[in-house]
Amino acid sequence: METLIANLAHGFGVALSWNNLLFAFIGCMIGTAIGVLPGIGPVATISLLLPITFGQPATTAIIMLAGIYYGAQYGGSTTAILLNLPGEVSAVVTTLEGYKMARKGRAGAALTIAAVGSFFAGCVSTVLVAASGPLLTSVALSFGPADYFSLMLLGLIIAAVLAQGSVIKSVGMVVLGVALGLVGTDVQTGQQRFTFGIPELSDGLDFAALAMGLFGIAEIILNLDRPEARSVLTTKVGSLYLTREEVRRSIPSVLRGTAVGSVLGILPGGGAALASFGSYMMERRVSKYGNQFGTGAIEGVAGPESANNAASQTSFIPLLTLGIPANAVMALMVGALIIQGIQPGPRMVEAQPDLFWGLIASMWIGNLMLLIINLPMIGMWVKLLQVPYRYMYPAILMFCSVGIYSINNNVFDVYLTVLFAIAGYLFAKMKMEPAPLLIGFVLGPMMEEHLRRAMLLSRGDPMVFIERPISGTLLALAAIALGLMLLPSLRKGKDEALAGG
Amino acid sequence: MRLNAKDIFSGLIFIAIALIGLWLNTEHAMGSARRMGPGYMPWLTFMLLLALGVIVVVLALASGPDPLERWAWREMSLVLLGMCVFGLLLERGGLFLSSAAMIGIASLADRSHRPLGVLGVMIFLLALCWWVFIYQLDIRVSVWPQFWQ
Repeated sequence: METLIANLAHGFGVALSWNNLLFAFIGCMIGTAIGVLPGIGPVATISLLLPITFGQPATTAIIMLAGIYYGAQYGGSTTAILLNLPGEVSAVVTTLEGYKMARKGRAGAALTIAAVGSFFAGCVSTVLVAASGPLLTSVALSFGPADYFSLMLLGLIIAAVLAQGSVIKSVGMVVLGVALGLVGTDVQTGQQRFTFGIPELSDGLDFAALAMGLFGIAEIILNLDRPEARSVLTTKVGSLYLTREEVRRSIPSVLRGTAVGSVLGILPGGGAALASFGSYMMERRVSKYGNQFGTGAIEGVAGPESANNAASQTSFIPLLTLGIPANAVMALMVGALIIQGIQPGPRMVEAQPDLFWGLIASMWIGNLMLLIINLPMIGMWVKLLQVPYRYMYPAILMFCSVGIYSINNNVFDVYLTVLFAIAGYLFAKMKMEPAPLLIGFVLGPMMEEHLRRAMLLSRGDPMVFIERPISGTLLALAAIALGLMLLPSLRKGKDEALAGG
Repeated sequence: MRLNAKDIFSGLIFIAIALIGLWLNTEHAMGSARRMGPGYMPWLTFMLLLALGVIVVVLALASGPDPLERWAWREMSLVLLGMCVFGLLLERGGLFLSSAAMIGIASLADRSHRPLGVLGVMIFLLALCWWVFIYQLDIRVSVWPQFWQ
């Protein structure tokens, strides 16, 4: 306990430095902005801001990128409540009750409970990350190569299973990601693989180019393809204060939402969207006012909004302790760390205390900032919605292009991004999920290394993966997850739950 | 017939990439399970992809109908052409010329743009670009054209 406090104090020392505060603030502002704006999400934004963070120390970079991720969860709720327009997938459920509340003249109350609930959830989950980090790290250090391989396999399978649409196609996308990760120099023999003699490919496909093409640029084309109608704000925000009755009704929902969100965030493949759906389902069953759902029940805002924020923070746990990204945003974080020369994994808590504890402290500070950014300045964010997309996309395009060039000072990366943009558009048209691909791409090279090491240690006997208890358990879990999702009834439930995305 | 055209194409994409990958992989040494060569993991990966591709195609024969969608060729080619022109111009023409060209070309993709609006966006973005990338981040790229060098 004492070490925890000492560590947190150290973290606050790091996070409260002028530069880190500034970047946490920038991250929260950008996050809120993209959360408010439909048509651009955290994955695209983080991939397009990756190059800008390279000039900063690793801790500062991750603090800013994290701010974007959890800031987007705050911002997404604003437009969901006021305009029935979810800025983020995770805010889709907020529209269900939040917009109804706005129609009843309680928009201000809905915004307040969303922000306060998120703040509370953020505080709790930050402590959870701080406490579980060192604990999980000690467990992870007893992992052998075989266990690592199985853990990553489990992560990949859950990522595929929880993606929207066909499970088999998502597994295919994971494998395709692993295949793309093979491009480059083989670490053990130095042989060039799939590089077609192009020197730029000998270090592998550039991660930022892949992410920006698949998510950033492809999204621009998709948005131009189906122009959305921007609605104009007609509802009045009204009083931001909650009535005594509303406070009494939301407290249990906030608590339940925080718990559900924290758990669903840790799961590989989980994240903010899953958490808010999970919490909404639960509130509708558990709450005494379940019959009021659909008419503007405050529980339906308080629970999911707390849950998505809790999840967006606890999803850092597998990344920081095991080096395994739970979702596409975390895969981007791995990319950012690797480019900074830090290998994410169980040794990171000890080797990079500034980064680990600084990030945790910054999350708490960031949540406080977001509370201030969001509530009094709500009018400003709503104004942002009036900027037409035709002025926004050239800006995104320019930041992508100049950013991608600046990483290696090489125009080859710009052309590579163009290629992946075409691929990303093709995937969208074929209903192939790009997020599992990104996770496969990040985990693929690590898996190959662990597979080779495990097989060398076992003298070529594949039974080692089943015989080692940790590895065997993880593989069994993976098989169960895959098996369950092939059952038609469960698959239907999942598609319904994720239908908004 | 209830053909799922999207899934059939997805499966064919998987199969095509897997076959190309397996063919390219023939030049890498496989090694043994104990001492894997550089070709082992690619072989595993592409075989798995091939199998998944076949399964996707087979399942797609009865899971439809889900016809292919129209492509926004015009929007896609203009946005990507803009980026390619940016890449071609950047090192000789400098940051401003190449960015302005990209913004100009990409703006054609949205029919609601007006010339004056595009010009305004261009000036604003060039100023922003200079402030972020040159003034703040100091990336190594020339701002003005370098044709005479």
